[in-house]
Amino acid sequence: MFGYTKVKLETSLVDRISKFSDIAGYSSPEEFITHALEKELAQLEDAGAEEEIKKRLQGLGYMS
Amino acid sequence: MAQYASTHKNRCIRSATLIVLVAAALSWPVTAEAYVGPGAGFAVLGSFAVIFVTMLLAGVSLLAWPFRMLWRMIRRRTRSAPLVKRLIVVGFDGQEPRITERLMAEGKMPHFSRLAEMGGYSRLRSTFPSITPVAWSSFTTGTNPGKHNIFDFLDRDPRTYLPRLSSTEIGSVDRVLKIGKLRIPLAKPSIRNLRKSKPWWTILGEHNIWSTIIRVPITFPPDKFYGAQLGAMCIPDLLGTQGTFMLFTTRPGGESFQEGGLRFELNANGSRDTFEGTIDGPENTFFEGNPPMTVPLKLELDRSGKRGLVTVNGETADLEQGVLSDWVKLTFKAIAGMKVTGITRMMITEMDDHVSLYLSPINIEPEKPVMPISHPGYYCSYLEKKLGAYATLGLAEDTWALNEKVTDDRTFMTQTSDIDCEREEMLFTALDTLRKGALVTVFDATDRVNHMFWRYTEDGHPAAEGVDDPEYGDAIEQQYLRNDEIVGKVLKRLGDGDVLWVMSDHGCTSFRRGVNLNAWLMDNGFLFLKEGADGSEQWLQSVDWSRTRAYAVGLVGMFLNIEGRESQGIVKKGAEVEVLKAELKAGLDGLMDDEKDVVAINEAFDTDILYRGPYKGNAPDLLIGYNHGYRISWDCASGVVAGAVFEDNTKAWSGDHIVDPRLVPGVFLANHPIDKDDPAIIDLAPTALTFFGLTPPAHMEGRPIVDGKPLKGPPRET
Repeated sequence: MFGYTKVKLETSLVDRISKFSDIAGYSSPEEFITHALEKELAQLEDAGAEEEIKKRLQGLGYMS
Repeated sequence: MAQYASTHKNRCIRSATLIVLVAAALSWPVTAEAYVGPGAGFAVLGSFAVIFVTMLLAGVSLLAWPFRMLWRMIRRRTRSAPLVKRLIVVGFDGQEPRITERLMAEGKMPHFSRLAEMGGYSRLRSTFPSITPVAWSSFTTGTNPGKHNIFDFLDRDPRTYLPRLSSTEIGSVDRVLKIGKLRIPLAKPSIRNLRKSKPWWTILGEHNIWSTIIRVPITFPPDKFYGAQLGAMCIPDLLGTQGTFMLFTTRPGGESFQEGGLRFELNANGSRDTFEGTIDGPENTFFEGNPPMTVPLKLELDRSGKRGLVTVNGETADLEQGVLSDWVKLTFKAIAGMKVTGITRMMITEMDDHVSLYLSPINIEPEKPVMPISHPGYYCSYLEKKLGAYATLGLAEDTWALNEKVTDDRTFMTQTSDIDCEREEMLFTALDTLRKGALVTVFDATDRVNHMFWRYTEDGHPAAEGVDDPEYGDAIEQQYLRNDEIVGKVLKRLGDGDVLWVMSDHGCTSFRRGVNLNAWLMDNGFLFLKEGADGSEQWLQSVDWSRTRAYAVGLVGMFLNIEGRESQGIVKKGAEVEVLKAELKAGLDGLMDDEKDVVAINEAFDTDILYRGPYKGNAPDLLIGYNHGYRISWDCASGVVAGAVFEDNTKAWSGDHIVDPRLVPGVFLANHPIDKDDPAIIDLAPTALTFFGLTPPAHMEGRPIVDGKPLKGPPRET
């Protein structure tokens, strides 16, 4: 459910990420890396099942 | 919860002292007078081993002590001396400044007035948009939505155009072991909080400063930091929804609820007064097709006494008609040895010609929660042991049952007040044990009461037609007076070095008329329906994406159908986008509701200008700033295109804040001077860090509202 695992990256890449994470508005280099990977994954992953998505919104007071 | 830390520390000191004393006593030479055989010899050798290891550890600990102290000193040097001992934040979600200021002026909120005299009072600029998940995320991180990634309650999936919750993603388990119809999951589903950036309490924790964070919105799953946290919005109910009530009834079917509730049959069991039904619980993912786990329910009526006995799981609750029960535990069995438990509140709503039984949304049970609702995981259980069962659902007050007229004003107020009392107990349990650090507690009742009872505060509200003298006509004012009482109790507990903030994330205004933006887009040639479709289908299912240039999803935003971003996008990035935005703004800025001769939309804001940060690409392209009295219509919120652009709102949900954020600021009171003319909610995270001697990190955009010098004046009531 939770948990982290380590991934090896080139030191020079991490240095570049650290240098630009603040400028880009991230709170940490880890957030920068996570966002970059999530954006790539979003291109590959399938969308969730329609019924499941609707169900999760059910009961949200602001909607009808 | 701070006592966990202090108790644990004290225990460690006591244990270490005890070990050293025992070791010293055992190593003292004494005369052995008893028989010493081989077994005893081993025992003596074993004792020596224990003593040796203990002494070794004590020695290592002593040798390491200077290094540990040095490390702590280095850590301390990274921050200045703290200006405060405790920072206590009491949040009243949605507290409206106009009402607050009037009641303060009338002398009805003496503790708010006293706090304002001790330090200051100000309106608090909210976020764009002025809605709970966005505003509290900016409070949490000190950043604009472009950096924390929460732009609305809802996001849309550009692959499908369907809405989805913006703050939480609950994954499914793909890896399962199939044995016949049985499905054994080989992993746990992932649950992710989609709010990005870093909470200020995480930064405090990195400097060994404790925080207790209770029910601050968008903390599900909870943050992991040095402190304790009880999660809030958008914790689901046991069915995985945002709150689904159930109605068991003998009334014939066909009268379906528009949204938010489920209707089940209540069957007579051979007598006029005994009925049976089945509660459908969460899906049983251990079986093919995910059938619901069920629990039988039995209702026995005493019509003359206007009471009923409800039996579930072998436990019986005695209910009085029209009165909510206490929390009732529901246990659903998945497979042998595996069960899921939730809690609900029941009420018999009628027992005349027809019989109906209401069940509130089934909350995740806090004692043994099936999802991570607190940090550490046992914090929710600790609160349950201290206070008894409590609401865990993100939006716990059942607004939909009242909207659907399944419950009434009285029931809603009972439910809301009870949850408010639970929250108050949590606040004071934490406050009375916190010696140093931060404590934040957010109360939701003000927002919910604003939403549901605004109709009684103004003449001619369409949702109050036919109601002449409502019993809860002053519900909003009463709630504000209750908030004042809570503040009074907190003021009495303040000590030297304590800072108190009382705040709201946004205000509230009237919701008299709904605007169907998608209908407006269709009328003005920006959105087209599929051949033969009439636009009545939900979730934009009837939209022809090959011709549509703009669409509205969520509560406040409008998206362009951009090529390469949306799966069927047709608007080219660059100049075409800018021209389209200008066209839309020209139509929406100052949009008139001709029937009422009133401006419905003040301005459509370009989010490319509003936001900065790595996530701004996820934002809607335009943000709609409605005027007082207007909001997105119920139909538009659920993706229905058909119908008029403007319509009356007749639901009990009659006040709202998803309007032009300039119209609904929050309130801010502190027992210290506010060194800023126009404070904003985004300023509070860097201010909190400043109070604890920390320099706000570069990614935070708010600016401290204090000058960083030691506080002057009385920190508490004199």
